[in-house]
Parts: sequence; structure tokens; C-alpha cells
Amino acid sequence: MSAQAPVERFRHEALLYSGWAEFVAGTVPFIRGGLEAGEPVLVVESPEKIDLLREALDREADRVLFADMAAVGANPARIIPAWQEFVERNSASGTHLRGVGEPIWKGRTDDELVECQRHESLLNVAFGNGQPWWLLCPYDIEKLDRSVIDEARRSHEFVSQHGNARTSPDFRGIEASGAPFDPPLPAPGTGALQLEFGPDGVAAVRRLAARLAVEAGVDASRAADFTLAVHEVAANSIRHGGGGGRVLAWRQTDRIVCEIQDRGRYMHALADRERPRPDRGAPRGLWLANQLCDLVQIRTFPSGTAVRLHLRIDPRHHLHLVPA
Amino acid sequence: MEVAEQPWFAWRGEKGRLDPLAEGREHAVYSDRQLVVTRTSTPPGLLFAGEIDLTNSDAVAKSLASEFPIFGDAHLDVGRLSFCDISGIRALVEAAEALGAGRRLLLHGLPGQLQTVMRVTGWSDLPSLVLCDCQVVQP
Repeated sequence: MSAQAPVERFRHEALLYSGWAEFVAGTVPFIRGGLEAGEPVLVVESPEKIDLLREALDREADRVLFADMAAVGANPARIIPAWQEFVERNSASGTHLRGVGEPIWKGRTDDELVECQRHESLLNVAFGNGQPWWLLCPYDIEKLDRSVIDEARRSHEFVSQHGNARTSPDFRGIEASGAPFDPPLPAPGTGALQLEFGPDGVAAVRRLAARLAVEAGVDASRAADFTLAVHEVAANSIRHGGGGGRVLAWRQTDRIVCEIQDRGRYMHALADRERPRPDRGAPRGLWLANQLCDLVQIRTFPSGTAVRLHLRIDPRHHLHLVPA
Repeated sequence: MEVAEQPWFAWRGEKGRLDPLAEGREHAVYSDRQLVVTRTSTPPGLLFAGEIDLTNSDAVAKSLASEFPIFGDAHLDVGRLSFCDISGIRALVEAAEALGAGRRLLLHGLPGQLQTVMRVTGWSDLPSLVLCDCQVVQP
């Protein structure tokens, strides 16, 4: 398989690398191949790796789009909409596209890692039956746990290493990639406040969220954002989840967390990451939650749904990429 | 574990405290426990004070439909809206689109957070819904 040949359908490929030299050797020919074929190329990486690629690509770097993964993918559920925008903007031209995206790095929290892995699977659902483009996802095998690499083999149809790309025998397929997501969530924080709510109880839910935010010292504007996100998820429970549910609220070292449980089930895997169209009926609550919160964990169990919303207390503590 | 009404957020319902929305209830075109809608004179329109959510957004939509002028632009003062959820914004969007034929719904004093929400939810580019900071609205 030549790195230069355009693909006939969506190709989701993990690149296993160890050290900066292997990273460059795995990505630069891929990027050059795209440029030579006239394909738009978007690279979503750490600022350090972007500098490295700019240097290696020299003048060709001016034809590549770069974005900071720590900004785009702080909440991993915002990465698919970013790729979707890239694909849609270029779909009219009929050309093929290439992307490089490294959503998982050493330094992601355990919660973020699980959501990143879900994101990698959902890429297959979002693009697997659409127009042809090629997404290369670098994985640092030196720094990441073995279990993370094993999961990459399940979420990517192709895996390449040392210049050899192979079909991954462990790939779970498009359909299974969108199956209900049900790994257990960590236990709620100690002293979590709990509130049951029915159709008339949504105001009490948002007051609980507002109180949690203000008492934790979150600034007013982000407290309002968090309150609205919690409100919208609770409103979903009232409308679609059996008329009500239960909210748990607690503070964790650097963040506040609210979990809304109800008896409904989200049947659509991409429900929380499809950009709403201007038509009025489209649901927007989960989309909004992903734009306003630092992390959203959605779990669908046979008994119902749990949605956990995280907000960092101090926005300056934005996660940053650990230099390779 | 149970949370009953807590002092910090219970001001609204606390016994003996004044109804923060009392002013205007008497002349309201619409009023419930969390929202009061009154008329404004300059420009002629409606003033919203309080909270709009899924429990009253249908009622808001109805009062918008029945109170809007027959001709010209419609004006809403939303500067005293302390909360508005997506169903509330949807009611405003639908009201704006229902005006039709080049008419616009002008929102005065939309709080910053709601501007963010309108942008994030893809509703900020409607030609029929205009955010206005002219500050001329008077009761």
C-alpha cells in the first residue's frame, strides 16, 4: 500500500510510533502524498509536533492546515464536529482529503482517555459510510499503556508501524463501533448531593447546579454555562427519559460534576456530536453540553441512561499536551 | 444525601420575601411563578422578566403570537431574563420566523450567555432575529 495513493473510502488508520523520528517518518510522507495529489490536509496535533512537522515539511507546510489538539479536543466529543467541518467544507470540490489527529497522549486523565477511545470508535460511525478520506491517528507506543494500543487496534481498521500498513484483525467494525456505550463510570465523589426530579422539578435541578458552581468558586459566566448544560440534560430526561430522573452533584479536586440519570436510552450514537442545523426541531441539548462543559460522559445501560457533566473550576487549568 | 430547598437559592420562594417579579405582575400580558411579560411603550413591544424553560416556553410562544404588532418589526426587551433554555430560544426563533415578509424580531439587552447559546446552537444567523443594543426600550 503506497502512502501516495488516494483512498476509495474512509480509511481510519492508527500509526504506532516510538520517538520523534518515527513520528516524522510516519506522518511526513503521508502529508506529502496528500499535497502531491492536490488533497487538502488538516493536522490536529500538539504545538510541539506542529513545529516539528513545519520544519520537516519546510515550504510545503504552508499548504497544510494545522490545529492545536489541546484546543480542538480538550473535550474529545468536539473532535468529530471539527473533522466534519473539514470534510464538508471540501466536499463540493470532490477531492479526497487527508487528516492527522492525535487525540490520545500521556497526560489525559482516566476519564478523558475513555472518552477519547469512544471518540476513535465513533469516527467509524461518523465517516465510515461517507465520502472517501484518510485519517491517520498517531499513537505513542513508548509512552502509552499497552491496553491503549490494544484498543487502538480495535477502533482502527488499519494499523501501520515502521512504514508497513496492515488491516487490523482486531477491528470491531462500523456497526459495533456505534453500539451503546456502557463501561461503568467511577463512583461519584463522597458527599454527593442527590435530588430526584419530575416534570415540574427542572428549576430545582438548575438551582442545585448553580449552587454547586458558585460554592466551588466558578466564575459567574461559566457557572451559568454549566447550569444551562445540566438543565438541558435534565430537560431531556423529562421529555424523553420517562418524565424525570435523578441528579447527583459533587466536587472533585479540580472540577465540579453533575450526573443525570433517567430511564431513557440514547439510541443514536452521534446524538451528542452532530452540529445542529438551523431547522428548529433538531435536538440541541447534548450538543450544547459538549460545547459548554470540559467533559461529558454518556452511558447507556439496559436500565436507562447516565450523563455526567464535568466543569473545571479554574479555566486556566486547561489541559495541555505533554511534549513528546 | 437529600437536598431540600437550600438558603442560597431559595430566595425566590422564601416565606416573607417579596416576589422579585411583583413589579409588573398587575399589568402583565402573561405571568407565572417564574416569568412576567409586560408591554413596553417605546418602542412598542414586550418585556420579559424571570425565567423561560420547558415548563412555560409554549405559553411564551402563545403570548408572542398574540401580542406582536400587525405591521413592522417586533421588539422584545430580554435584559431581565435571568434564565432561558433551548426551548425558550426556540420559541423566540419561531416567533421571529413567523413574522415573515422581511419583518424582524429585535431582541434588546440579550444577556451575554444567551448570545453564546444562540451561536453554539446555530441560531445566530437568522435574518429575522436581530440582537440590538440600542438601549431605547422603556416600559
